Amino acid sequence: MTTFELRNAEPPSGSTPADGSARTKVMRRHRRFDFLPYVLVTPLTLFIVGLALIPATFTVVQSFYRVQPLDPPNRFTGLNNFRRLFNDNAIHSSIGNTALYVLIGVTLSTVLGIAMAVTLQHKFAGRSILIAVLILPWALPGVVEGIVWSGIWDSNTGALNSLLTSLHFIDHYQVFLGQHRILTIAAIELVQVWQITPLSALLVLAALQNIPGDLYEAAYIDGCSPWSVFRRITLPLARPGIAIAMVQAVIATLNIFDQPYVLNGAAPTAASLTMQTYFISFQNLDFGEGYALSLLITVVTLAVSLGVVKLVYRPVEF
Amino acid sequence: MKQRKSWIRAVGIFFISIWSLAPLYWALNTSLQTEAQVGSKPAHFLPPTPTLSNYRSLLSGAGELQGAIRRSTANIFIECSIATIVTVTLSTLAAYAFARIKFRGRHILFYAVLFTMAFPAYTTLIPLYRILTTFGLVNTYTGIILVYVSGFLPLATWILYNYMSSLPIAIEEAGQVDGANRMQVLWHLVLPLARPGIISTAIITFLFAWAQFLFPLVLSSDLSTQPLTVVIAAMQGRHLIPFSLLSAAGIFAIGVPAMIAVTLNRYIVSGLITGSVK
Repeated sequence: MTTFELRNAEPPSGSTPADGSARTKVMRRHRRFDFLPYVLVTPLTLFIVGLALIPATFTVVQSFYRVQPLDPPNRFTGLNNFRRLFNDNAIHSSIGNTALYVLIGVTLSTVLGIAMAVTLQHKFAGRSILIAVLILPWALPGVVEGIVWSGIWDSNTGALNSLLTSLHFIDHYQVFLGQHRILTIAAIELVQVWQITPLSALLVLAALQNIPGDLYEAAYIDGCSPWSVFRRITLPLARPGIAIAMVQAVIATLNIFDQPYVLNGAAPTAASLTMQTYFISFQNLDFGEGYALSLLITVVTLAVSLGVVKLVYRPVEF
Repeated sequence: MKQRKSWIRAVGIFFISIWSLAPLYWALNTSLQTEAQVGSKPAHFLPPTPTLSNYRSLLSGAGELQGAIRRSTANIFIECSIATIVTVTLSTLAAYAFARIKFRGRHILFYAVLFTMAFPAYTTLIPLYRILTTFGLVNTYTGIILVYVSGFLPLATWILYNYMSSLPIAIEEAGQVDGANRMQVLWHLVLPLARPGIISTAIITFLFAWAQFLFPLVLSSDLSTQPLTVVIAAMQGRHLIPFSLLSAAGIFAIGVPAMIAVTLNRYIVSGLITGSVK
């Protein structure tokens, strides 16, 4: 990190005033309090403190309170909110659903992201166009992606049913969403994977582009097959990028909301934990329990992210 | 050897193209058909008689739904543009201070910014709702924009801090020597040099804002502030709405971000890489 003090920039030798006066000037400047940096960071600080740190503290503290705006007063209830969460069947099924979302989403987006990054690793004609195509799903709103994909999964007019029927894989139209739990979750998670994989691919690609080309040349001269080059050079040296990609996938999948909300509504077959937070807080108006669930999701997200970093991240130097 | 590698690459190129484009093609295909054609089995993989009637209905139709689409389009433009301008301005000022000036409290403040990036956005959903309620800002542009800015500032500051730290310092020193004060150095020297970083930050912020759903779902209660994403999700819930019209609305809602992604993707890539690695 390069930092310097503009105040201390050396004046050009030609304009240096006589010895004594220069010293007093410098001293006076040093004693004067420098307001400028504080002016520059004040707006940011107000936003961070007022709309991020204070609300986050609120979530932590009030998860131990009973907070129901329609039924005051608010009072301290210890672990009661958490106890109610753990005795709630809807929460139990959402924990399972969310675990499946994370498992499918992180695995698929990482594998596909690595495959896409390897495709884009070396320059070829049309590579920048392909990157534009790759990035497209990342840039679109999750809700609208849900609607786009509902045209594929739909049981009456969907593309998949039509395709599978004309290929004679199935003899009548199937219902993909809302009946079989694992199938529903896999179908919904695929929509999210579609959205988050581009970022995974870009992060892995950035790591791949740091790998010196002569490593590959040496390996091929030594007679390595493409697969063993991938196993022994590409994969280990891309670990920092893969770790970051997996962390962003963990955060996205553990907090999934838009896709199941649009594709499956409130149905318990696929409701995620973030959806439960929304229902508890804004439909049942039980803010205390909502706080407790938000806090749990946050803690789990941080813990799983840290675990992934510990497991996957290895510093790489060239 | 070479041949086998290019064969693998060709498969990769084919897969990426199909993966990214096929779902969008299907929505476009549906939106160009009449509702009767959408219902046919097997489905039409090309619109038999391409029609823009769904789009015409969205943009100029008189119904309640069409009015909602148009109003929420105006809302999403207003909210995303103002949130982007405010975020980029504030993060540029702060990033310059963090990257170039030593001051007391700099480290702790910078770590606070990074810390807020570490926890998921929805952690603060309920308290933000209650804070906005207290100040009467629920269902106002101001409320939504404040929340967006607070959510996007940390990443924007981080991207711009990394970008500015990588700029050569000699030019700024030369400006200082020539008698420019620090605000002049920022305005005339740093801003032009940091322009690619600022453009990246603005594009990423705008796309994030455009994609928001749960926050505006909670923070806006009617059409005076609801963005397009919330209105389209509500459309999906009502089964009376023809699927061809819904697809047209979907294509309409992704038009702007898709165009940005396709034309300005190199800024997005560099911004995301600066923001995530390091």
